[in-house]
Amino acid sequence: MKQYEEYKIIGKPVPRRDSLGKVTGQAIYTNDLKLPRMLYAKVLRSPLPHAKILNIDVSRALRLPGVKAVVTGFDTKGIKWGVFKYTQDHPLLPRDKVRYVGEDVAAVAAIDEEIAMEALELIKVDYEPLPAVFDPIEAMQEGAPLIHDEFPRNINIHVHIEVGDVEQAFKESYLVMENTFRAAGEAYAMMEPYAVVAHYHEGYLDIWCPNAGPHVRAKALSNLLGLPLNRVRVRHVNIGGAFGGRSEVQPADLIAALLSIKTERPVKLTLTREENAMCSRQVHDVIATIKTGVKKDGTILAKEFKVIYDGGAYSSTGPIATSVPYYVYEETYRIPNVRYDGYRVFTNKGIRGMYGCHGRAFLVGNEVQLDMIAEALGIDPVEIRLKNGLKAGEETITKSKIISSGLHEALKTVSEKSNWREKRGSIQKGEGKGIGIGCVGMMCGFPMGFRSGSSCYLKFNDDGQVTLITGIVDNGQGNESLAIQIASEVLGIPMEDINLVNADTEITNLDQGAYSQAATFVSGNAVKRACEDARRQILAIASDKLGVPAEELDLRNRMVVWKKDPSKNIPIQWIVREAFFMGRPIVGFGSYMPKIDFEREWVKRPYGQLAGTFSYGACVAEVEVDKETGRIYIPRFYAAHDCGYPINPMAVEGQIEGSIVQAGVAAILEKNLWHKGFLLNPDLLEYKVPLACDIPEMEPIIVNSYDPEGPFGAKEGGLTIRMSAYSAVGTALYQALGIPITELPFTPDVVWKALRKAKGEAEK
Amino acid sequence: MKLPKFLYFRPKTIEEALATFTAYDGNAVYLAGGTDLIPRMKLKLKKPTAVIDLKGIGELKNVRLEDHKVVIGPLVTLFELSKTPMIKERFPALFEALISTSCETLQMRGTIGGNILQDTRCLFYNQSEFWRKAKGACLKTGGERCHVTGAKECLSNYMSDTAPALLSLEASLKLVGIEGEREIPLKEIFTGNGIFPLSLRPGEILYQISIPNEPSKGGYEKLRLRGSIDYPLLGIALSGSAEKVKVAIGGIGPAPKVWEGKLEDLPSSMEKLSQEIKAIANTILDPLYRRHMIPVLSRRLAKRVFGN
Amino acid sequence: MELIRVQFKVNGEQVDLSVKPYETLLETLRNRLELTGTKEGCGLGSCGACTVLLDGIPVRSCLLLTAEVNGREVTTIEGLKQGDKLHPLQEAFINHGAVQCGFCTPGMILTAKALLDRNPKPTRSEIIRAISSNICRCTGYKKIIEAIESVVQKGER
Repeated sequence: MKQYEEYKIIGKPVPRRDSLGKVTGQAIYTNDLKLPRMLYAKVLRSPLPHAKILNIDVSRALRLPGVKAVVTGFDTKGIKWGVFKYTQDHPLLPRDKVRYVGEDVAAVAAIDEEIAMEALELIKVDYEPLPAVFDPIEAMQEGAPLIHDEFPRNINIHVHIEVGDVEQAFKESYLVMENTFRAAGEAYAMMEPYAVVAHYHEGYLDIWCPNAGPHVRAKALSNLLGLPLNRVRVRHVNIGGAFGGRSEVQPADLIAALLSIKTERPVKLTLTREENAMCSRQVHDVIATIKTGVKKDGTILAKEFKVIYDGGAYSSTGPIATSVPYYVYEETYRIPNVRYDGYRVFTNKGIRGMYGCHGRAFLVGNEVQLDMIAEALGIDPVEIRLKNGLKAGEETITKSKIISSGLHEALKTVSEKSNWREKRGSIQKGEGKGIGIGCVGMMCGFPMGFRSGSSCYLKFNDDGQVTLITGIVDNGQGNESLAIQIASEVLGIPMEDINLVNADTEITNLDQGAYSQAATFVSGNAVKRACEDARRQILAIASDKLGVPAEELDLRNRMVVWKKDPSKNIPIQWIVREAFFMGRPIVGFGSYMPKIDFEREWVKRPYGQLAGTFSYGACVAEVEVDKETGRIYIPRFYAAHDCGYPINPMAVEGQIEGSIVQAGVAAILEKNLWHKGFLLNPDLLEYKVPLACDIPEMEPIIVNSYDPEGPFGAKEGGLTIRMSAYSAVGTALYQALGIPITELPFTPDVVWKALRKAKGEAEK
Repeated sequence: MKLPKFLYFRPKTIEEALATFTAYDGNAVYLAGGTDLIPRMKLKLKKPTAVIDLKGIGELKNVRLEDHKVVIGPLVTLFELSKTPMIKERFPALFEALISTSCETLQMRGTIGGNILQDTRCLFYNQSEFWRKAKGACLKTGGERCHVTGAKECLSNYMSDTAPALLSLEASLKLVGIEGEREIPLKEIFTGNGIFPLSLRPGEILYQISIPNEPSKGGYEKLRLRGSIDYPLLGIALSGSAEKVKVAIGGIGPAPKVWEGKLEDLPSSMEKLSQEIKAIANTILDPLYRRHMIPVLSRRLAKRVFGN
Repeated sequence: MELIRVQFKVNGEQVDLSVKPYETLLETLRNRLELTGTKEGCGLGSCGACTVLLDGIPVRSCLLLTAEVNGREVTTIEGLKQGDKLHPLQEAFINHGAVQCGFCTPGMILTAKALLDRNPKPTRSEIIRAISSNICRCTGYKKIIEAIESVVQKGER
């Protein structure tokens, strides 16, 4: 392992390559695309939360001048899509019934948006309303309206994980505690509303849309449309945020594709902010019941969980969403006995997907309860986490080996930097001030079958510049720049010499997508290997030319140099030309498949190596509560993230800071608010995304654990903070108030009501 | 998001504006900053045939002293007004309300007249045409019942920050319409009916706002979740002296509540008001909580303004 | 429906257009003038992604009728660069890592520019106040504030 100070560019804060286009307005996002003869599409949506479709009459719409095509479920192949074979429940354009307000029912392509909107008014849909259900507990009762015939009691997924003997362990425990926490689901609220441009021409379908995994997108569309995979080309485009909400194929994709196929013209479909909130993806509401048994010294003996996830109308990533909050928790702590029952339940609301901050009820609940346990035992919260936290070399209870862990270092560092001991000691519990800690582990990738890996190719121009071709996807976090930075390091050429072609399914090879925290660890590794392959080829030729063994050569500043005497050198460009002459141009190829147990299955076999590695993080939040108004202020936040080794520390900091706000500040602000299947705040005014005036002082801390598998020791760029920041707020709040607040978000009215209840005050 | 179709006019005089309004049979609206009107039109809450832009009428934009009044034209932006020294010095309640309205960018576009004459708001009302058609018409959109309570009273919320401050300063409005001019105390434009919250006559243009030139102590306290952009979920304005303090409470219900009295009587009155005022679940915060914050925030405001 | 003739300047260039009376400035900029740097984030004036400068003042272009800008000057993000030279704010945003997904960036930079044009030495509090008109979902705002402060410190505009 190289000494990290020797890296030329890895580990240095580097301005991102994609920033220039974004600050000048030249970066193209899907809605910026304009193609010749492009048509504009609008979608007719269900006004009912649950109803049979009796008839759809599009004849009048078709007759409106300017309308070029109309599609309904009867224009599809009637295939139901699903992430998994056993969750294929989504027709995308239904024929038989609608299951949520806003579901796509028909769509029009016209020469302009106004005509398309007018045409929607001319489509007549006859519905037979069905009883609807909006609460997951109600939905699971016998006799509740059935949303999908194949899923009795509306239970979409049941994940059951059981190891050891929890009953016995509870009997042996010194202390057992049980609590229930609940959290309203959030909105992704990515700044770019969803949009698709589809262009079917000469038998090929080109698609642009903000998505986290073009290869999976192409595969889904290939299946849905009956087109071979090479005829579905998902193209690269800049993405205005995803946060897990753009991983799966959307009805909009199928609609735009069908309209384009019908008209043989490009079709653009742009969603309004309201449609983005109601009709793409939302985040699960969660109710988590947590029972923990510990020894007197604070060692966790057993955990029993029952978690209900309100999944909305379709499966989406079902098994994954039902499992991940549990997994990140078991990746963090040593738990000898566990029983986890996670239920994802259908309701007649919008579809809930995976989210970067998913599972706050579960994670905050566990962390706050741990603090309550620590308090009962007279143990400091940092100490109890250090005691129970997993270390490198250990295994999670479902048998995932941990090959590197900065958990202990993150806990220690963050508590030092935040002055934890002193502050914690000086605060009286219940006086309105608190300092709290939260920590979590995070899987870097997880089993996605043969699609779990990534490959990269590269070529050299005869001028010595490189084109790097990789499936890596950038949702905005900086993955494109990361790939270029890695290539720059290994090939010894500056970043500006490297072109990147990425996330285009015609050209790039399979990649798992910017999903499951795998981009750095998996895609980055593939890029590194491809560059090392090219590097070996260059060094082999140069060795010959210079008469020096290849091991004694290095690539620096566009030159091959002899390490012992750098004045003995040769430009890389000459080697490239020599290689052309030899009929063996320098072409690099590299591939990486993480060492995962591919027999592992979310429901059927939830045991075995889940991910190639795990990252770790710990946050400390300081809160001040105005007890009279229930208002919470978060003056300071410290967050330590073990990213393995930061490829670009500035980008990692950016992730940490964004996560503190998107999870930590969100804990006191963000919720989707519902009324009988209608989302009351499908906008950016009443849905409270934190503003600059709402942020705490933040100190992002990078912890290195030098992962043995990750490229340059790197793992992932900040997700641990997205899934622990709220826990720090929850635990700080517990100290500040002396009572746990078990309902998220911690808006002032929630805190105020909890305080009154604790005081026994009646409602007036 | 697209606006509905309409015609656009930019009259140069009040007379021209009124004539245009009449010509469109009252199916016209006046446009000032547009920060309230344009979103409502995009939501198709308002679908006028004609939009009459008042910004070409110079006499509607001014701030001056006249007799014993400070006179403000309706088209002065909130930002400009907050930067007018006379306002900050004399009317601290208004100043605080101006700088806490929305966010800085929208303060630079929103006008004082538009802020006063904004429509009431409700989570079930300020939604797209698709949403409202799917849900069914509520009272404010011509339906039979309120979606929140099921009753026949519309309790949508009047959420101007500046109006409570102006009420606490005993402001009056001069309105010019087809039938002539009139000057009324500000509080008289509020009907208390969420469906038609303002008692303007068709075509009436707000011509000027007058505040008695009596510098007072005062302040404005706003309850909102974020520190910017958000409307008040409760807004309390206070002006006057310990002997005679005037308080106006906005954000709950279709009309601000006004109270006047001695400072020492404020706490009990606010307590009483919080129990009588009707608040329903039509905002993002619990209505019981909002009511209970009335005595809390008014007490803090009084303390801030008058000391102990 | 009759179109309205509007003459105004965009990034220093005079334009002469016939627009629909109900056309917003955002639509005109993006669809007619094909200046797609200005973004639609919500269409209702709540997010700031559509911010442009109107005679130097930041406005939500999604709430403006193009008809209203007759005789005025509009600056979009495309107008900040002078030839090859980036505006100091653009440089600073790049160098401080203040850009992630980039969708809020054009509006954010213009809001910051308007602030510095009217107040060359804002305090951190004043910077935060100004940019609290714009939503960013990715960065958490810290690096955006640092980027703007760096420009203030250097005394550039």
